[in-house]
Amino acid sequence: MNNRLLIIEDNPQNIYMMHFLLEKNGFEVIEAMTGPDGIEKAVRYQPRAILLDIQLPEMDGYAIAAELLRRPETAGIPIIAVTSYAMSGDREKILAAGATGYIEKPINPDTFVQEMMQYLPGLPNDEKEQT
Amino acid sequence: MTPTNRPFHFRLFSPVFLPFFLFAFIFAGIPPADVYARDVTVGVYENAPKVFTDENGKPAGIFIDIIQFIAEEEGWNLHYKAGTWAEGLDRLRDGEIDLMPDVAYTAARNDIFDFHEEPLLSSWFQVYARKGSGIRSIVDMHGKRVVVLEGSVQKEAFEQFTGGFGFDITLMSRPDYKAMFEMVASGKADAVVSNNFYGMMHTQKHGLEDTAVIFNPSLLFFAAPKGKNRELLEGIDRHLAEIKKDTQSIYYKSVARWTSEKIAYKLPFWVAMVGIALAALMIIGAVGSLVLKKQVNLRTQELRKINSEIEERIRLRTAELAEATQRAQAADRIKSAFLATMSHELRTPLNSIIGFTGILLQQLAGPLNDEQKKQLGMVQNSSRHLLSLINDILDISKIEAGEIKLSFSPYDLAPSLEKTVQLVKPLADKKGLKLTTEIDASVGVVISDQRRLEQIVINLLNNAVKFTEQGSVGVSCRRKDDVYILTVSDTGPGIKEEDIQGLFQPFHQIDTGISRKYEGSGLGLSICKKLIELMGGTIAVESRWNEGSAFTIRFPAEQGEKI
Repeated sequence: MNNRLLIIEDNPQNIYMMHFLLEKNGFEVIEAMTGPDGIEKAVRYQPRAILLDIQLPEMDGYAIAAELLRRPETAGIPIIAVTSYAMSGDREKILAAGATGYIEKPINPDTFVQEMMQYLPGLPNDEKEQT
Repeated sequence: MTPTNRPFHFRLFSPVFLPFFLFAFIFAGIPPADVYARDVTVGVYENAPKVFTDENGKPAGIFIDIIQFIAEEEGWNLHYKAGTWAEGLDRLRDGEIDLMPDVAYTAARNDIFDFHEEPLLSSWFQVYARKGSGIRSIVDMHGKRVVVLEGSVQKEAFEQFTGGFGFDITLMSRPDYKAMFEMVASGKADAVVSNNFYGMMHTQKHGLEDTAVIFNPSLLFFAAPKGKNRELLEGIDRHLAEIKKDTQSIYYKSVARWTSEKIAYKLPFWVAMVGIALAALMIIGAVGSLVLKKQVNLRTQELRKINSEIEERIRLRTAELAEATQRAQAADRIKSAFLATMSHELRTPLNSIIGFTGILLQQLAGPLNDEQKKQLGMVQNSSRHLLSLINDILDISKIEAGEIKLSFSPYDLAPSLEKTVQLVKPLADKKGLKLTTEIDASVGVVISDQRRLEQIVINLLNNAVKFTEQGSVGVSCRRKDDVYILTVSDTGPGIKEEDIQGLFQPFHQIDTGISRKYEGSGLGLSICKKLIELMGGTIAVESRWNEGSAFTIRFPAEQGEKI
């Protein structure tokens, strides 16, 4: 299984931070700054998981999640929402929209990678927490 | 003769046509053989000009004019029962009277009374200032002397209204409106708080002018006992909707009559004088000379003109006030929305600073020397502090804008509490404080907003650890019937008795000396209080200076929708 992750996010600094942390932990990272670009890259690169921002201009995270689930090529890829929608209720909303997991912004560099890994399927090592 | 002048002309001709009128009156007084005529008892109390007893002992005022009109249209037989305001409400609750006038709609009253839907009047408190005092809006109130009605809700409402501005306002009180207005007229005060009806009647007479400072608006209705008299309220609504549309109707006439001092108190005198003169002339002229007729018409026209001018003035004033109220409310909403948006926009770059500082401190980007670690640690601390300030502002503005929504779901309380205690453990360890947790076996599942409840507990714990220099900080929790009782106690400096009262007010931090030492927004406890109240709970504090403090929250074990 590949070690590729796709980040869909429009803030360059956030992309850089996640990219940096994931790469340091041995992942290969692909970036997309818009929904259509992200969907296209998800189809092409078949990542192990997609880290998805919700507050994006034009096509938002809910619409992207719906489209990814609709397409047979991407329907099986776990979606992990990464968003600063810290209000109660938003967690339920994005999980209902089809996301596998939810990581809250601001991301904590100390725990981000671990938080992300618990949503990855078929992780061979014992770092994975059963959810 | 137009209806406008009818009362005046009755008086004018009454000596002449008295026998005829007596006859007509007796005749009209025989009730029609209408078996459906309904007896309706209406409460009366003293609050001129809305409702009161006139010098002849008869009920009068705007509410009375309107209900008499509707009763005539609907064929109700009106009876009146006079008493105090409290008696009126008691009688209404017990069904002794069918309708009570001048009742402001509140949620609590709606539980025991029924209201019709179309408001009869709107009422509000308004500040009236001496001409030349320079008071136009709320921002001009700083440093002014304001007089309020003794023993009324005005003082509290006014303080609440101006409280957030941090103005220095001297409040004085007098037992009645007349004395209050005289104080301002004589220069002993700068402004007066009054209800809009009294204000409208007496402002000019005392050389005052109205200001845009308006607060505590309420809508006034007839109220009926709960579940009874639905058809009366429907009848009132039907007619109110009609007569409020027609500017020539009894509604506008009554409002104009009772709220304009000229019409209500001064006009009748000279009108009567002119009227008597005219009547004399007419009687002398016997058949009625054309000249005389012309004069009468002229006078009538004059009266009509004055009347419509005053009506126009009142309509204009009412519209202006409604607009001012709307503007003030809109400004408040914009303020809250602005704060919420700004806070969100500020957080994004700040999170970037905190995140990258964290990465550098993890030394993922390369090794750091001790000095670099120390300075980056300071960057991290300061930016985390700034973030918590922004979060507090975001919370308080959301709460004040009424935009906060709680989401209730069941969860285990004990692990949630353990988690919050773990969050403050690093700081407690660093300060050498003992951290104790005492969770009773009765503590199990709670239905609440987990995130917000944890926020409250974390806030209390943070405060305790922050202010305590030695000793211990403890959390205890138990369930009593349907309520959880949670206490965060510490052996810190404690709170002086005089400081306890303002403790839960926004922007409060006791003793400026301390606030320099312990940073914080001063919003934490007021947020806690508002949140716990939204959850149907309470917060209380017990403290003695130099002996420590204990904050206790009580909240329902099952709150909101059960899932």
